[in-house]
Amino acid sequence: MKLTRRDFTAGLAVGITAPYAIRSARAQAATLKIGMCVPVTGPAAEQGLWAQNGAKLALAAVNKAGGVLGKQVELVIEDDQTTNPGIVLAFSKLAAQPDIVAFLGSIRSTQVMAMAPDVLKLGKPVMIGGTNPDLTHMGNPWLFRFRPNDSYSGRVIADFGVNTLGKKKWAIVHSTDAFGTAGGKALSDALSKLGAPPVLDQGYANQSQDFTPVVLAVKQSGADVLGTYFTFENDLGIFARQLRQLGVTIPWVGSPSVVAVSSTKLAGPALYGTFGVADYAEESGDAPRAFGKSYRETYKTAPDIQSAWTYDAVTILSAAINKAGSTDPTKIREAILALKKFPGAEGEYNFDQNGDGLHGYNVVRNEKGMIVFDKHIEFND
Amino acid sequence: MACGKAINNRRPKILLPGISMDLALQLLFTGIGIGAVYALVALGFVLIFRATNVVNFAQGEFSMVAAYLMVVFAVDLGWPYWLSFLLALAGMALLGAIFNLGVYYPLRHRSFLPVIIATIGASILLSNSVLAIYGPQPQVLEGWFETPGIQLGPVYLDSQYLLIIAVTIVLVIFNYWFFEHTMLGKKLQATSQDKEMASLLGISVSTMIMITFIYSAVLGGLAGILVAPVLFVSIQMGSTIALKAFAATIIGGFGDVTGAIIGGLALGIIETFGAAYISVPYKDGFAFLVLVAFLVFRPQGIFGERVAEKA
Repeated sequence: MKLTRRDFTAGLAVGITAPYAIRSARAQAATLKIGMCVPVTGPAAEQGLWAQNGAKLALAAVNKAGGVLGKQVELVIEDDQTTNPGIVLAFSKLAAQPDIVAFLGSIRSTQVMAMAPDVLKLGKPVMIGGTNPDLTHMGNPWLFRFRPNDSYSGRVIADFGVNTLGKKKWAIVHSTDAFGTAGGKALSDALSKLGAPPVLDQGYANQSQDFTPVVLAVKQSGADVLGTYFTFENDLGIFARQLRQLGVTIPWVGSPSVVAVSSTKLAGPALYGTFGVADYAEESGDAPRAFGKSYRETYKTAPDIQSAWTYDAVTILSAAINKAGSTDPTKIREAILALKKFPGAEGEYNFDQNGDGLHGYNVVRNEKGMIVFDKHIEFND
Repeated sequence: MACGKAINNRRPKILLPGISMDLALQLLFTGIGIGAVYALVALGFVLIFRATNVVNFAQGEFSMVAAYLMVVFAVDLGWPYWLSFLLALAGMALLGAIFNLGVYYPLRHRSFLPVIIATIGASILLSNSVLAIYGPQPQVLEGWFETPGIQLGPVYLDSQYLLIIAVTIVLVIFNYWFFEHTMLGKKLQATSQDKEMASLLGISVSTMIMITFIYSAVLGGLAGILVAPVLFVSIQMGSTIALKAFAATIIGGFGDVTGAIIGGLALGIIETFGAAYISVPYKDGFAFLVLVAFLVFRPQGIFGERVAEKA
């Protein structure tokens, strides 16, 4: 047989690439992949970093304990650019990889809403942190929520403000995105049920540079308590400072962003004395305490919800796949829904048929920059 | 100021007329303050446009980079505030020079479009470089003054906004003096009006353009450093301000320094009052509505010449 130049070149190419191809194939078989859509760029890039930290911390623990179905677990990260088109693109990139068995979606409801049709089409489990109640009530069986939804946060804020603080004249300030609108409505509904309908319901657009008109509206409303749903800590920081500068000192009970690590740092004394509902509160139980300790040791900073929910999502997803004994999406779904009394960083998980894992909130307060656990309020529905 | 009465139907809330004078004054002060920030960045847009006939879409990123330089020098390294300020501005001058040599100069003989695209590319490069180096966490930069503000009757005057307004006034005077009463200023003006003629008169056009880029980068940086204590230091801070500053430039008249200042202030006041009287969520909408109205009915802006003619 005559060896032509073409044969030689082809042989050389195969010889060079074969070890890589074999190694790659072996690596693919040896790991179990979880896709993660997370903001690496854009306004929520900071939140995205926290989310990655939480997921990676859980991943290390899962792999140290033997992995899932005897394989090491690998996280495949795609940047969602903090935009709706960004997350749709990121998810479609991940969905095109058939060896990814499940996904972590966004903490932002508006992004989950954007990717939801593609999730339904793909038919694989997606863990989410968005708290708009509708997300798990729109007939999509593949979304599993690792945070309590805003029907709970609204009720807890209202209950705490009305019954514990004794305040009945509420001003609500909320973002006009999906999260803020749903949260504001949930709070408004809860207040109405308690006989204290809000005197002001004020929306604002994200990434505002100035909140003077909002603060003046609060001041003019005569409210004696403030309830808020802010999406971005930057916005919250600017609002908090202007609120105090313009002399508004009424009690403030807010959604989790009020007590986020970043808000506490940015707003400083402007947030002292505020109350917030938080799914993650380090002192609320043994599992949150253990997570807090592990997170501090690894990242040298305090964790918050941004990292706690992804930590729980990876931990619970891994446990569910192990329990299912398979990567079949339907079996994973059944295994997640069957989880009861599972201790997580965010609390005890009891998944309902809608895919909601948590059904209560902690109330925490900002004591001179330290976030202190006050009480936990759990619901049975 | 009546507000938020239509609670149950969740429509955007309207602050009805009848707003008190005290609150109107408060809104006016804030509007002028935020407008002054737009004006400072708009000034950078105008100067580069006059010199090169292109819009520099990285002008907002100049503000962001300067604010991060301040954080590095004043917060991370703990150097004195004034020294950090001077070093940050020096850094911006260097960035302006590099920007000119790397982005504008190689494309100077091409039409305006490749240069504009290059400035957009540079803007993405700058923001992502800072993201890669510094991470996504927003940073806190303390203001110049220990007192956060003063209460003057019913109006609270934020000391940082007072400083921004003062700097804007000083810069308006400085620009007038510089461009009208100094030889360098006149050379810059001559270059922006007719490069060939300026060249024939012995003016080094490339040097003048270099000076323009350096000055614009320093101006943008100054705006960033001044506004950082109010808006915090984040990767997005530049693009958010630049978008409004760009609108201010068109409203004021592209190519006109006075127009940029008036446009910036007008925009700040319009959006603040629009938010208070009509709707907070549509605050940005008012700014861009005014922009569209100008583009349709008076594309040359208040003072300037037609954009189409310039382009």
